[in-house]
Amino acid sequence: MIFEERQVEKNNFLSRAIFIFVLFSFSFLVVLLQVFSLQVSSYSAYELAALNNKNYSVPIQPLRGEIFDRNGHVIVRNMKTFDLITQPHSIDDAESFLQLIKPVIHLTELEANQYLENFKEKAFVNKELVLKKNLSTEEIARFGVRRFMFKNAFIGERYRRMSDYPEIFSHVLGYTSRAEDQYDSLSDIPRSHWEDAELVYTNGLIEGITGLEQTYNQMLSGTYGKRVYEINARGRLGETLEDEPSVPGEDIHTHLDISAQMSASKAFGSRKGGVVAIDLESGGINVLFSAPSYSINKLANGMTVADFQGLITNPSKPFFNRALQGRYPPASTIKPAIAMFGLTNKLVGWEEEIDDPGFFTLPENGRIYRGWKKGGHKNVNLKKALLVSSNTYFFKLAYQSDMQELASYLASFGFGTQVCGDCFDEDGAFLPTPDWKYNNLNIPWFTGDTVNIGVGQGYLVATPMQLANYASILANKGRALTPSIAQSVLSDAVKQNNYQVSLGKKDWINLHDALTGVIESDLGTARSIRDLKNFKVAGKSGTAELVSLDSKEAYQDVRGTELLRDHSIIIAFGPMPNPKYAVSVVVENGESGGAVAGPVAIKVLKSLLNEQ
Amino acid sequence: MNNKLTKIYFDPYLFFSICLLSILGLVFLYSASNADLSIVLRQSAYVLFGFLIMLAASQPDPDLFRRTSFLFLVFAVLLLGITFLFGPEINGAQRWVRMGPVSFQSSEFLKLALPIFLASFLCDKKLPIQTREVGITLIIIFLAFSLVARQPDLGTGLIVALSGIFVLFLSGLSWSFIGGAFVLLVISSPLIWNVLLEPFQRQRIATLFNPESDPFGAGWNIIQSKIAIGSGGIFGKGFGQGSQTQLNFLPETKTDFIFSVIGEEFGFIGVFLLLSIYFFILMRCLYLALTARDRFCRLVIGGLSLTFAANLIINLCMVVGLLPVVGMPLPFISKGGSSLMSLFFAFGIITSMATHKKFLPQ
Repeated sequence: MIFEERQVEKNNFLSRAIFIFVLFSFSFLVVLLQVFSLQVSSYSAYELAALNNKNYSVPIQPLRGEIFDRNGHVIVRNMKTFDLITQPHSIDDAESFLQLIKPVIHLTELEANQYLENFKEKAFVNKELVLKKNLSTEEIARFGVRRFMFKNAFIGERYRRMSDYPEIFSHVLGYTSRAEDQYDSLSDIPRSHWEDAELVYTNGLIEGITGLEQTYNQMLSGTYGKRVYEINARGRLGETLEDEPSVPGEDIHTHLDISAQMSASKAFGSRKGGVVAIDLESGGINVLFSAPSYSINKLANGMTVADFQGLITNPSKPFFNRALQGRYPPASTIKPAIAMFGLTNKLVGWEEEIDDPGFFTLPENGRIYRGWKKGGHKNVNLKKALLVSSNTYFFKLAYQSDMQELASYLASFGFGTQVCGDCFDEDGAFLPTPDWKYNNLNIPWFTGDTVNIGVGQGYLVATPMQLANYASILANKGRALTPSIAQSVLSDAVKQNNYQVSLGKKDWINLHDALTGVIESDLGTARSIRDLKNFKVAGKSGTAELVSLDSKEAYQDVRGTELLRDHSIIIAFGPMPNPKYAVSVVVENGESGGAVAGPVAIKVLKSLLNEQ
Repeated sequence: MNNKLTKIYFDPYLFFSICLLSILGLVFLYSASNADLSIVLRQSAYVLFGFLIMLAASQPDPDLFRRTSFLFLVFAVLLLGITFLFGPEINGAQRWVRMGPVSFQSSEFLKLALPIFLASFLCDKKLPIQTREVGITLIIIFLAFSLVARQPDLGTGLIVALSGIFVLFLSGLSWSFIGGAFVLLVISSPLIWNVLLEPFQRQRIATLFNPESDPFGAGWNIIQSKIAIGSGGIFGKGFGQGSQTQLNFLPETKTDFIFSVIGEEFGFIGVFLLLSIYFFILMRCLYLALTARDRFCRLVIGGLSLTFAANLIINLCMVVGLLPVVGMPLPFISKGGSSLMSLFFAFGIITSMATHKKFLPQ
């Protein structure tokens, strides 16, 4: 090549080399800019992504609060049990490990198989695996002395939700059961991590399903803690990076009284019904019992399908909370309220007498409404009408009443609404009005309907809870408290009742006097329970008819079927003259109010007053 | 004359910057291998051997390379043939050839042999280069590419093709031809996409644009690499402290994705310094090419250094998420013997081309 050609070639090379090197320098710049954008501009997003990769957070279950009665005795507690927990990643061979531990711990075929099934996965990801739940004391002791042989296993504490009175507090306390996950409670823990939650309870995550356990679930639950592990790409857990302990739930101190609840249960025997007792000072619910019952321990800690089916299909409906949801005609127990309505509206006075021939004839159509006693009670004034429970007197009084006004008056005793501040799934039962009947049944309200209300029959129904609340208002001379189970109730869990029933001072004295007479005087319908105690009790018994019949003879036919027998009802409060407790008792198909429900009420009152 | 025999040909700038890169590479590898000293020791041996190769390759006169370039090319093609016939199949590809105790990737030789041969072929051609010569060159390039691509090893195949194209471009390919080829490439790209690319290759390209579509499958590598680099921040998490690296979220930390390890543990500052070294090497090569004694040397220095640069840029773009994932190591840093040897060999040849001067014009 000649010199000029070489120079041209050199220049040509120079320009091309510079061109392409500039191109590459530009690529360098692009890479650098991209790195800058990753590491500086978007740093926080990628930092978070890296943390999310390596940090594996799991929730730590808190211990649930315990529930106490008013004397500080525990009703539901966390019972410590012991599980044998292993660390599969430090066990070389699962089979030989099981052979080694079999003489120490009794293992069923199922437990061994389950263990082997889960072993590999847990070993791979370095997670713990429970070999056996609920070790016996012998097993614990045997393991204890051979601990040196099993460096890869330890005994861990796990709790069970237990009550020492599993049957009698079922309806009021309710039970806990397995909860799905509590994802909502910890927003920074991904949902999928909940399956690795560190458990305190043998049953896993639990929550209150019914009763107090449900009403106060949030308070009892406590706050979940958090443990953050380092995790590698294959899901194997490493060291703990962060440990935020759980906060145990708060204990709940209730107004319940274990011995009074036991008395109620004992007095009920095998009968069905409900009892509610209320402290007149605080409105606290001391007894809330429904029969028949079921074991909350079994429900909370696992029962067989057959057992559960048995409970569900039991014709006596043990799950049904009769104290809060049973709808019963109040029968004659409504009479004090009707009397008060009459007094307030000047329809009757204490002295005026009427003739009770044993029945009341409705002037409009001549229909006859019978009393419970053939021949009647002859001359009765208001006090006697309450003592002997004269139907004729209250038929006549109701007949004179305006139903609209009477309904709103009864509403001020809590009829037709939920009255308890913190009860689970309370039924408001039913208080009828003329409008309701016209709108729903398409029939106008007849005066005969009002006449029936006068003796607590007809459309009016109430729960034992409402009857106890009503009794407490009578006992407190009109002051209405909100009944509640827990002592220091959560403000948002409590519904406040703002009603007050007023009556003249003298009228209250007369009314208490008359109601005391129901039990304490020779005329009283509930005098049969007079001698069961050594303090005075006021009350009103009732017999709720399930079938409307014209004569006693007809009822004798009906009695043959137990489920058609009358309900026995009583409301009572004592000791008089300064009552401390009010109680209501409904015994289904128990017939005579005073004789059957009465003794239950007295036993509960005695227990509450510490009288044997 | 006596003086000339004892002279050792080497370029201090290239030599020491490569030294620095290699030492840094061993340090990074220690962290990337989760502190596996045996891997680092093995790689150290490769590095030492590589320096010997580089020094040895620096000594012969460029004319020797020019005279033997055809033999070298034939040897490289033969190696590929042997690989095709006897090479073990690993992960569905035949890339390795075993010679006694040593096994290496045969395509690495072609990366050197092709540009040197083309440089010798084109160095005495008149400007502008005639269509006939361009045609011959392109056929040779295509054959070389096909040989490697059918292993299959698309990444290396493309690098081999690029190494030839660089030489062709530098030797004075007319701009109109370049423009035409570019247009042709754009037009035929749907054909390339649908016919030439394997499904997994298409998948990789699709993943690049939307890694989140398959975060645990095809998108995993890109996503984790970006997380590793991004979470390094300005100063990095510190040596051995990168969670993405140490907890194995990052794939292929010792080889293709070692740059992400550096980004994570040494941050933007570390990345900037590392890229500066590479950039310095490139600029030094440009300077050496411009001051080389003749056209053959210029073309060889240009071709080899641009091949090195392409290799580097593709790896960088891949790990920062600008290019689809192709198997491409980070030069002088990634673990592995074959590519390291060919790199040292290439820089030895570059040194030879740059340091042997002729004081008299040809």
